[in-house]
Parts: sequence; C-alpha cells; structure tokens
Amino acid sequence: MEVQGLQMTEAKTAPGLFKRNPPIAGEAEAIERAKAGDAEAFSKLYALHKRRVYTLCLRMLGNVSEAEDMTQEAFLHLFRKIGSFRGESAFSTWLHRLTVNLVLMHLRKKGLQLVSLEETINPSEEDSPKRDFGSRDTQLAGSVDRVALERAVASLPPGYRMVFVLHDVEGFEHNEIAVMLECSTGNSKSQLHKARLKLRELLRQAEATPQADLKEAAL
Amino acid sequence: MTLKDSNRPNSVSCAEFQEQLPDLFAAGATGHIEDSELAGHLKTCENCSALIRDLEYIAEQAKQLLQPQEPSDNVWKKIQEGLATDTSYAAKSHKE
Ligand SMILES: [Zn+2]
Repeated sequence: MEVQGLQMTEAKTAPGLFKRNPPIAGEAEAIERAKAGDAEAFSKLYALHKRRVYTLCLRMLGNVSEAEDMTQEAFLHLFRKIGSFRGESAFSTWLHRLTVNLVLMHLRKKGLQLVSLEETINPSEEDSPKRDFGSRDTQLAGSVDRVALERAVASLPPGYRMVFVLHDVEGFEHNEIAVMLECSTGNSKSQLHKARLKLRELLRQAEATPQADLKEAAL
Repeated sequence: MTLKDSNRPNSVSCAEFQEQLPDLFAAGATGHIEDSELAGHLKTCENCSALIRDLEYIAEQAKQLLQPQEPSDNVWKKIQEGLATDTSYAAKSHKE
C-alpha cells in the first residue's frame, strides 16, 4: 500500500500533452483585443472554443444543464482573467485547465468526494463493481456506439466518471490526474479500473436491451 | 502466491489475477505480462482474457467522446449578460 498523495506534489508541466490543440488562426489577435476589453474579440474566442469547453464539461458532469452552467462560468472566468494569460502555454491548454479546475471546484462545493481514499484502502465489495469471476457469458459485441457509451459514462458515479474522462477521453496521465484530484496515482489507477469495469457492466446491460434504448435515443 | 509449484499450472486465481489489472493497464503491459504465473493464468483463462479485451475496447472507444458537442445559444446570452454587469461595475469603480 503506498502512502497517499505524497508522490506527486510538484505540478508537472507536461510538454506535448495537448498535442491536439494547435494554434488557431486569428486567435492570438483576438486574445490581445480581448485583453483590451473588445466585445467582438470575446465573441470570437467563444466561437472558437465553446465546443471544446462545453464537451469537456458535459463529459465530466454527465448532464446538459450543469454543463451549460459551467461553460458559462468558464468563459466568464476566462474573460475576467484573460489579462493574466501570458502565452506561456497554448491558450487552449490554459482554458482547458481553467475549465477542469472550475468543474472540480464545483463538484467539491457540492460536497462530492471525488476519489474516496478509504474505498481504495479498504475496498468494500458492495461498492465496487462486481468482479468477473467465472461468468463466461457475453463479451461486448465490439459495436458500442457513441450514444450508448455517452449514456453509460453519464451514469457512472462522479468519481469514476472524472477519472475515466480525464484519462481515457482527455488523455491525461495518472500522475497528472493525481495532482488535479489531490489523490495518489494508485488511487487514480484503481478508480480508472473500477470505472471501466462499471462501464462494461452498463454496456452489457444496454446490449441486452437494445431496442428500447435505440428508440428512446432516436426521439 | 509465490510458490513455484509446477504441478499447479493455475496457481493464480482469477481474483488474484484481476487484482493486478489496474497496474498492468497503467503500465500498458496487458499484452505482454512479464510475471510468468500471471501470464500463465491469462493464457488458460478465457474469462480473464475476455475481461481484458473488453476493458481495452472500452478504453479505445472512449475517444469517441472527444467528438465536440454544441452548447445551446442560451449559454452565450448568459455570458454576455455576465460581461455586461462586469463592465458596468468596472466603469463605476473607475469613476471613483
Ligand atoms: Zn481468470
């Protein structure tokens, strides 16, 4: 058993982490104008980044209305703080971190313990997804579509969902997640594993009753 | 668990094997497990192999969720309202 939370205290600047965020044409200029309070520049920055920010919020929170609220928060925060953006990291990286931090703060305010330490130290069998001994039934068909996956992720417990989204969707490393969630890397690994186990269970259930699900999703 | 008993090829149980999975996944080592007892279990256990295939599949499919979604227009309206109150506040505090 490792000592909780000790191994990764320094904030890591990971070069190349956000490889998918290349600079966007016209962005630098819009940032400078936004710093001077130009309303049109705000609008441009919003148009450039709204989908990325909203999608991130939606994945982390699992519901539309909270995701919209947090998107609003993130951009208001961004516009208020844009003066402190010095261009040391890519703007999208900066905005991404700001959004993740706001969502985490929001969840903590709601009294949510993101990663339960006791659970990892003393795994309670009822709480963790069923282990898969012996049952040799179906394997996932290899045809899980985005809608089914979205639903399954949205119905994960928030702590599991957060680690799953940060690691498997957003591509963060366990040591980075540990810093963000203020837990150990061991916690992050075990939460991720439990999240995937739970998703497997949920996706199998969905596969067992596909018709009703599809009809409902099409509405 | 460290007994090297060659008469018991399956000396690792499913539970013991699955306990190692979080670390194996984190190390990206599910495809080439070094520990011979764990590797031996995986070779002979259809249940644990299916589990690993499913979990790898789920991790792969997660990238689908990066596909951007569009927030409703209402969000921008509210942001503009928020900015407007900011500006009037800023203007007032500048005067003082
Ligand atoms: Zn097994």
